[in-house]
Amino acid sequence: MATCGPQPERKNIPDYEYIDVNTKPFHIGAFRDLWLERLKPSDYSYKEEDEEAFEAEFANEFGLNAETVNDIKSICSFDALRCHPVDRDTTVVPPDSSLRTLRQRKRRQDYKANLKINTNRHELYAEELERLTVGRKPAGEENRIPEGEVIITINIYYPTIFERFKYVRPHATLLMTGSHTLANLRDAICCVSDLQVCGEFSNTPDIAPDFISKDHYKSSFFFLEGVFYNDMRFPECQAISSTTIEWAKSHNFPSYQQAKMEDTKFVDLTIKVGFPYLYCHQGDCEHLVIITDVRLSHKSDCQDKKLYPLLTHKHRVTTRRCTVCHIYIGRWLTTNDHFAPCDPCLFCDKCFRMLHYDKHGNKLGDFLAYPYVDPGAFN
Amino acid sequence: MAHCRQLITDDCEDLLARFQKTESVRFEVFAKIWREMKFSEMFYGSTEVLKGKTFSQQILTTAYRYFLPPYTFQIRVGGLYLLYGLYSSQLARPKVQIQVALKDWEEVKKFEKDAAQAQHFDATYILRKLFSQHAFYFAAMPRHLSKCQKKRNEKESVCEEFMERASRPQELVNNELLEELSNVHEHYERYRLSKTLVHPDLVPQIHQIVTDFTNWQFLVVSSTQPDHQGGVVSSLILLFSPQSSQRAELLAAIKSRSYGQAVEASKSRRHRQVEVHSQVPQRAPRKPSLKSRTDTILFKNVPRKKREFKW
Repeated sequence: MATCGPQPERKNIPDYEYIDVNTKPFHIGAFRDLWLERLKPSDYSYKEEDEEAFEAEFANEFGLNAETVNDIKSICSFDALRCHPVDRDTTVVPPDSSLRTLRQRKRRQDYKANLKINTNRHELYAEELERLTVGRKPAGEENRIPEGEVIITINIYYPTIFERFKYVRPHATLLMTGSHTLANLRDAICCVSDLQVCGEFSNTPDIAPDFISKDHYKSSFFFLEGVFYNDMRFPECQAISSTTIEWAKSHNFPSYQQAKMEDTKFVDLTIKVGFPYLYCHQGDCEHLVIITDVRLSHKSDCQDKKLYPLLTHKHRVTTRRCTVCHIYIGRWLTTNDHFAPCDPCLFCDKCFRMLHYDKHGNKLGDFLAYPYVDPGAFN
Repeated sequence: MAHCRQLITDDCEDLLARFQKTESVRFEVFAKIWREMKFSEMFYGSTEVLKGKTFSQQILTTAYRYFLPPYTFQIRVGGLYLLYGLYSSQLARPKVQIQVALKDWEEVKKFEKDAAQAQHFDATYILRKLFSQHAFYFAAMPRHLSKCQKKRNEKESVCEEFMERASRPQELVNNELLEELSNVHEHYERYRLSKTLVHPDLVPQIHQIVTDFTNWQFLVVSSTQPDHQGGVVSSLILLFSPQSSQRAELLAAIKSRSYGQAVEASKSRRHRQVEVHSQVPQRAPRKPSLKSRTDTILFKNVPRKKREFKW
């Protein structure tokens, strides 16, 4: 290692900092250029390559005649690997297989069949999510993702607001392109703390939706590689990272830089893949953000630019239902309530209004009502 | 998917070990082993779309490792065939792509060049075909990385049997170098003739050392395989093993002998006699499981057949 000095180009080839954990920092734009100069345009193009052209080129390059190429082709065809006829049922695990993986799968499936649980509803949703996006072609050519664009996979972890989140790490996965800014990412992250409504609204339940935190407290920041990227798109935004920076300065920490989120594109960033970064909004709602993968776009990707940032995975949280109907998700939380079986008590919007207000919307009885946003509201 | 990671590795290594035994890089040979093992069945039965996709990802990542150094050229060809077979026979639609890391790209290109130079057209053809089918993601790393997932997974080990033997000494000390060295050495000797500081036979010595190293390497490799000349080989290895480890082995032998004989305790400590363990590192016997304990308590006297209840 000591023999080959650090070449300037070398440093943008991602390599492990800790094996299987994260990479050393590299520049995404430079990384893309390194790939592009190593590849032929046909390697990353979206077009299907013609088989005959491929064979002709192969023969040409190695100086082979057509007969030899045909021989090679027949030897190397996929049919040589076929173990069963084409119409064989592939949905059943073959019994008494010699492969260990299959024997385990068989055991697990038999066990699952005993449990008699229907397919998980969430899995169905996840499959549907995938069906909507995979291989989508754009309506117009101008909306197509250009060939050789970088696709960045980002995991956004839920804040550890529940005790049980210490054991599972629920996250949402987004695909972004290199031309997106960090502000696009910020808009794509949905978090319930953006939807919270603070205050008591038992007298005026209709105006509660006007007081969503997202519209009141717009400041937020990302913290990547020692730089705070603040959201400054709106006049009411503040650089809320200044507090941290000043504190660090007064305690003899190395100084941190600030930049604007909306001016920073992903291709301009220097990042480590697999390294945890921070997204903070609403003052103290903190999410871990991990860039798990950076790669060139592929023809099987969703090519419609408009669908990006593209959600590919989302952890689904169990929701709390209305105490009355047990069907809808709770929207209101009441205390000091004579109508309620418990204190505090959750109601869906309809049950809440039917129970607590008369036909003309006048408040009945004495109670305090707070809008409630369930953590599973985004399911 | 963590539950089957080890099993996937085992299955792939089985296949490659059989391929290694044939000492061939032909695709027909590989295809025969593949068909014998019914490797296409690997993907059967994973009905859920998403799970099938993660499984494909997992197995392709595993197979990709055999396509790269430090494995021998033959194993790498096997790894390439394995990737091709798995990629084409996977059931996930659209197909899951193989992730190539930028840092490995030079190795891939070098492999392609080596294969073409050695006229292994089947390997070259298959690699080219995978490219033309767009079977690769050109990515930063061979798999997705996230710090949080790491904790549960154990480190991936490298399969020693597939590895290339170290050949640096042989590469370094070749004929050209020896010739060059003998020239230089001659000059040197001429200059320093008056002094007696020179090694008189430097070049033959170096040559002898490298030959010895190669022989030793061969012996070590053949001794790991079940061999009928086991006794001879092990004594030779002992000969080559450094003195420090000999001393350690001797100490261990003495220790195990002395612990093997228990000294009888004096009368006052007769209730605490020393027990001799047959093997020195012995694990505490495992407690029987809760189920079996309950079984023995509840059904002590009932013969096994009568244990079925009727509700």
